[in-house]
Amino acid sequence: MNGIGKRVTIGFMSIVALLFVSGMISLFELGDLSNDTENILSTSKRNMELAKDMLKSSHEHSRAMLHLAVFGEKEYTDLANRSMSELEGCLAAARSESFNETCLDSLSATVSKIRAMSEKFLGGGTDTETHKESRDSVTFSTADLGIADASVSGKIWYDAGYEPVYTELTEQIKQFMTLTYSSLAPRAAQLNKNAYRSVAPVLLSLLVMIAIVLMFFYFIMVYCVKPVIKMNKSLGGYLSYRLPYEVKTELLDEIKELNDNIESLINISKQNNKQ
Amino acid sequence: MRFSIILRYVGTVMLCISAFMAVSAFISYLDGMDSAFYPLLLSALLTLLLGVFPMLFVRKADAINNKEGFSIVVGSWILASVVGMFPYLIWGGEFNLINAWFESVSGFTTTGATILNDVEALPQGLLFWRSATNWIGGAGVVMFALLILPSLGTNKMALSSMELSSLARDNYRYRAQMIVRILLVVYVGITVATTLLLKLAGMRWFDALNHAMSACATGGFSTKNASIGFYDSALMEIILIVAMLLSSIHFGLIYATFARKSNNIFRSEVVKTYLAVVAVCTVIIAVNIYDAGVYDSFWTSLRSSLFQVVSLISTTGFATADTNLWAPLSIILLMFVSVTGACAGSTSGGLKIDRMLLFVKTLASRIRHQQHPNAILRIRVDGILQENEQIHSAMVFIITYVVLIFLGTFVNALFGLDLITSFSSSVTCIGNVGPGFGEVGSMDNFSSMPAILKLQGSLLMLMGRLEIFGFIQFLFIKWWR
Repeated sequence: MNGIGKRVTIGFMSIVALLFVSGMISLFELGDLSNDTENILSTSKRNMELAKDMLKSSHEHSRAMLHLAVFGEKEYTDLANRSMSELEGCLAAARSESFNETCLDSLSATVSKIRAMSEKFLGGGTDTETHKESRDSVTFSTADLGIADASVSGKIWYDAGYEPVYTELTEQIKQFMTLTYSSLAPRAAQLNKNAYRSVAPVLLSLLVMIAIVLMFFYFIMVYCVKPVIKMNKSLGGYLSYRLPYEVKTELLDEIKELNDNIESLINISKQNNKQ
Repeated sequence: MRFSIILRYVGTVMLCISAFMAVSAFISYLDGMDSAFYPLLLSALLTLLLGVFPMLFVRKADAINNKEGFSIVVGSWILASVVGMFPYLIWGGEFNLINAWFESVSGFTTTGATILNDVEALPQGLLFWRSATNWIGGAGVVMFALLILPSLGTNKMALSSMELSSLARDNYRYRAQMIVRILLVVYVGITVATTLLLKLAGMRWFDALNHAMSACATGGFSTKNASIGFYDSALMEIILIVAMLLSSIHFGLIYATFARKSNNIFRSEVVKTYLAVVAVCTVIIAVNIYDAGVYDSFWTSLRSSLFQVVSLISTTGFATADTNLWAPLSIILLMFVSVTGACAGSTSGGLKIDRMLLFVKTLASRIRHQQHPNAILRIRVDGILQENEQIHSAMVFIITYVVLIFLGTFVNALFGLDLITSFSSSVTCIGNVGPGFGEVGSMDNFSSMPAILKLQGSLLMLMGRLEIFGFIQFLFIKWWR
């Protein structure tokens, strides 16, 4: 690398390249950061929505069962079936969106239990494989109680049989909400790490760039500016007082060529003067 | 002194470091582009630019003087530690600014002390980079510069005379160019052989390479939290013991032995003394820990004792046992070997057995002189007559070394560390050993230490690696004129 132009170009290109690379990496890391943030926010929002829907469905189911069991109002059967389907739909959605699996398993078991209980109470329902086992395990029914009065037996069924399971269900839904939030904590910590990772490259690049700019300044001064000043001074000395022109340059570049040319010019001038 | 020339040659070292960072990034890439890929790649680029830049302007020097050579060595080590922390800093995790600096200095000075609580959490690229810092440091940043410096003769001598301790230089009977070849052949040879043997003993390729690099540099960085204890393999321990022993013996002597020269390790007084110290300490510790009931069988005690003694005396710092649980006598002996270190002219740190031998001979000579005041007594080490200047210099070094240990202990204690932790962390840092005792024991790390003490530790590591006076001189601005 001989020319001043090349050196200066490479110097500046290095700085530009450094800025570009660090900028790109920061951009990449910021992209990651943005995705993670978005992901966490959307997970959190979806978790809230699902928990809210589950609570709503379970509450409606409970209301329907209360009317059915205590007051014997058969028109609530539809509401009971619909709310149960909605509850199961929410569960399926949560499972498909990879929320806390352990929590969902226990929630699912309680929902199956509640469905089996209500189906047994209503004396029918679809005998699907999913609920068959649960229904078989449920022994608590009006017949089991041996109470002839339907309204009394229904109230007892609701209070002693249904409500504890309903309470358990709502607790589990709340737990589902909390646990999902807890599982978001490490991801939030990762977010912090990502934020650090997007800032660190820029800071380090800036430090290196400062070092390079200082070196650049130093080298330009030592190898370009100072020789020119020396040449100028020495040439001035020769022209004014005929002092010998003696300037040494280290690099093989235009500065050296200029120096050599000045020396040649002085030599020619000296020869002309002798003639 | 020409500042531009120093910048150029330090830049050459930066290029080597950049190449190792690129290799580490490639390992990250092979590991499925793990989280260390971008940090390593960017660090490689930054270091490359720092290295290339001076080359654009500064021409190769025909000759460099001692001051310049000296400044290149010290400057390279410090700058290597600075750029070495880039990958850690960008990667994040447990690495903040102080921790990254500590880890980097610990790597390049081949100390092997760590601030990491969970080494295994690091991606493979970063694990390799840690071991690479050990390996680069072990060979001496300067050796890399020597290899690629195209200039002849004077440059190399000026650099090598600073890199190798003065005692080691006396043992070299080869020309300056040969020194580089010897170092390269011995260093790479031991590393390759150790890697292959560890692989054959059942280690994964990646772990084998990392441990081999670390052992040959007498560094001590491991890829496992439990260090070599993770493998619980007698065969691997034997391989590493041999590697550590070889790496802690004068490289010139190893080369001479393999080249069937007369001045080989079997004739060297220093090596004989070194091996005798290892043997005696191993047996005493084995008996002591067996007697104290640390191990059920004597052979297990002997195995553990041998590994720990070799690990600490060679200033490597690998561990197979929690030495904090050993009997007090064993702990004292392990501290003693941490202070003595191994042979000069190797990659190990510490006071060096050469100086200890010279110290003992000077002491004996002094006693004899008291008995026979008119006697003319000469001190020889390995058959080489030691001048008064050399003896004086060795004694001053030993005293300064001990004073620094006590100063370090004082500062540690000032910040609330217990006595054993304070003392052993000073010993381990200045001796470039790695593990100490107490809170910085073989199964612990430096993470719990206050930031100021980590800085102090890294300063001691640099001083130890640069033979104390090298570092001190660098700080005197007056000396630069």
